[in-house]
Amino acid sequence: MKILRDHSTFLAVVVFLIAFPFLMALLDGQSIGAMLAGQSGNSKFYQGLLIEIFILGIFALSYDLLFGITGLLSFGHAMFFAVGAYTAGLALKSLKLPLPQTLGLVILAGIAQALLFSIVLPRVKGITFALVTLGFASVFHIVIMSHELNDLAGGDVGLQNIPKPDYLDPAAQRLTFYFVALAFTILVYLFYRRFVDSPTGRVCIAIRENEHRAQMLGYNTFYFKLVALIVSGITAALGGALHALYQPIVSPVTASLAYTVNALLIILIGGVGTLSGALVGAAVFRLLQFFLDKFFGESSSFILGVVYVALVLFLPYGIIGTWRAHRLEWQAAWRARFARVATMLNRKT
Amino acid sequence: MSDDVIMEIILESEQLRKEFGALVAVNDVSIKIRRHTIHSIIGANGAGKTTFFNLLTNNVEPTAGRVIFKGRDITRLPLHRIAHLGIGRSFQITNIFPNLTVLENVRLAAQALGKDNFRLLDHHRHFQRYEERAWQVIRQVGLTERARMPARTLPHGDQRKLEVGMILAPDPEILLLDEPTSGMAAEFVPEMIGLIRQIHRTGQKTILLVEHNMGLVMSISDYITVMHQGQILAEGTPEQIAANQVVQSAYLGRLGWQVSEQ
Repeated sequence: MKILRDHSTFLAVVVFLIAFPFLMALLDGQSIGAMLAGQSGNSKFYQGLLIEIFILGIFALSYDLLFGITGLLSFGHAMFFAVGAYTAGLALKSLKLPLPQTLGLVILAGIAQALLFSIVLPRVKGITFALVTLGFASVFHIVIMSHELNDLAGGDVGLQNIPKPDYLDPAAQRLTFYFVALAFTILVYLFYRRFVDSPTGRVCIAIRENEHRAQMLGYNTFYFKLVALIVSGITAALGGALHALYQPIVSPVTASLAYTVNALLIILIGGVGTLSGALVGAAVFRLLQFFLDKFFGESSSFILGVVYVALVLFLPYGIIGTWRAHRLEWQAAWRARFARVATMLNRKT
Repeated sequence: MSDDVIMEIILESEQLRKEFGALVAVNDVSIKIRRHTIHSIIGANGAGKTTFFNLLTNNVEPTAGRVIFKGRDITRLPLHRIAHLGIGRSFQITNIFPNLTVLENVRLAAQALGKDNFRLLDHHRHFQRYEERAWQVIRQVGLTERARMPARTLPHGDQRKLEVGMILAPDPEILLLDEPTSGMAAEFVPEMIGLIRQIHRTGQKTILLVEHNMGLVMSISDYITVMHQGQILAEGTPEQIAANQVVQSAYLGRLGWQVSEQ
């Protein structure tokens, strides 16, 4: 019972997300049977939007572990995502591997890239690390869209016609895909929560706060940063693989600086270093993008910019960060307001 | 204190030297620290005390010379290895985790030398011994009531105590304290003196101290090394140092002029 109470928000969100496809079908007047059969409609459409949010959320979570928890600023994080997406796409398309082997390869690719980034870890700190990782990612970005690799990776158009397993086809089996993506997001989130509370995660936080002190206490900070980099890299690569499975094209844009900045923006919106903020931020980010685009068309990016500036101005610690900082006083204020109303009502009767 | 007994040397420097360009901040300093003593290094501002301290724990790389801990050369040991040998180091400018609670600061210090640092899938509460050790140290330094507060919200004096607690948590053999009373209000200094005394006595620890506060140094130290312009000017018991004419004049500022004339 205590577990239920302590995690009531988390559980409520999970229940809502499980019920979501059915609720959407009901709202749309679609029969549950038709929805289950994968017939198009609002339910199917919004399942797709949520799948995109889950993938973005996984990517942003992995960035939050690196930047928000461990304090490593990377401008090359999109490379993990792109490496995962291209590895998955090429393994399925060119190597004709089944899905489990493909995911194994994706994990290996994520580890390999984390090791590549870690070469410079002991030598560069702060903004220099950000720029070096940007360098790595830019090289990858250029290579993946080069003419020489046109036949393999599809050049600047991207990787197309990736064969998808029948049971996970994003068009025909949208609902299955939705639940797989949801389950994976929840798993990653719970794993991250535990990681941050583990002795290792606590040291990562200490490194963010004051690396020199952590070293003087006896922590070889390199290994902790390496662990964070590997965990984050695998997660982002798996997010990329999910992206490759869901999207019709894997675009080289996924390796660009803009894609890393999306992750940064998402955790700034949600709250840096809060983990749940990465998921909330991903939802806000994608939904804003979608609805502003729908209602304002071309000028939407201007409005989006204004909204982001406002968010940063008024919620400097992000949605979750600001909520955590002010939760107690806000709750106290509401309770006081209720109490005042209650006494007023009592006086009347 | 029994001076006749030849006590074991726990930490020593041999001809330790640091040059910053043309400036020789530490000029071939050799010092021997005996086990279980409180040894203070004093000297005017710019005498090279803190640089010397930084050379001992490799926070600054020496130009020449060696640092020997229990017979082992530790001169260029990576920073994180220093603590594993049993050396705790505090800094003149408070060096803590400002946004973490007092408890978490000390708990991290207690966890550092354990073997559970890479248990990614266990909650840190699962390893109760670190938390118990943290509480023990927090009680010892007198911060029990503030244990749940973020370290940055503590008054300066309490932050100094917290840092002492953090280096105490892994139970080191020697504590290197760089001006533990710096920036402290005068009325809190006796508290810090009491704490250092208590750590020394109950824990059988060696304490190497850099201090400005002469009253503190004279009352607490077994040995005193006086540094002046990067060199050792005098060494001895507090009584010997107090009686030393050269030191007397150095603190009056006269010798500074004489030495620079040489």
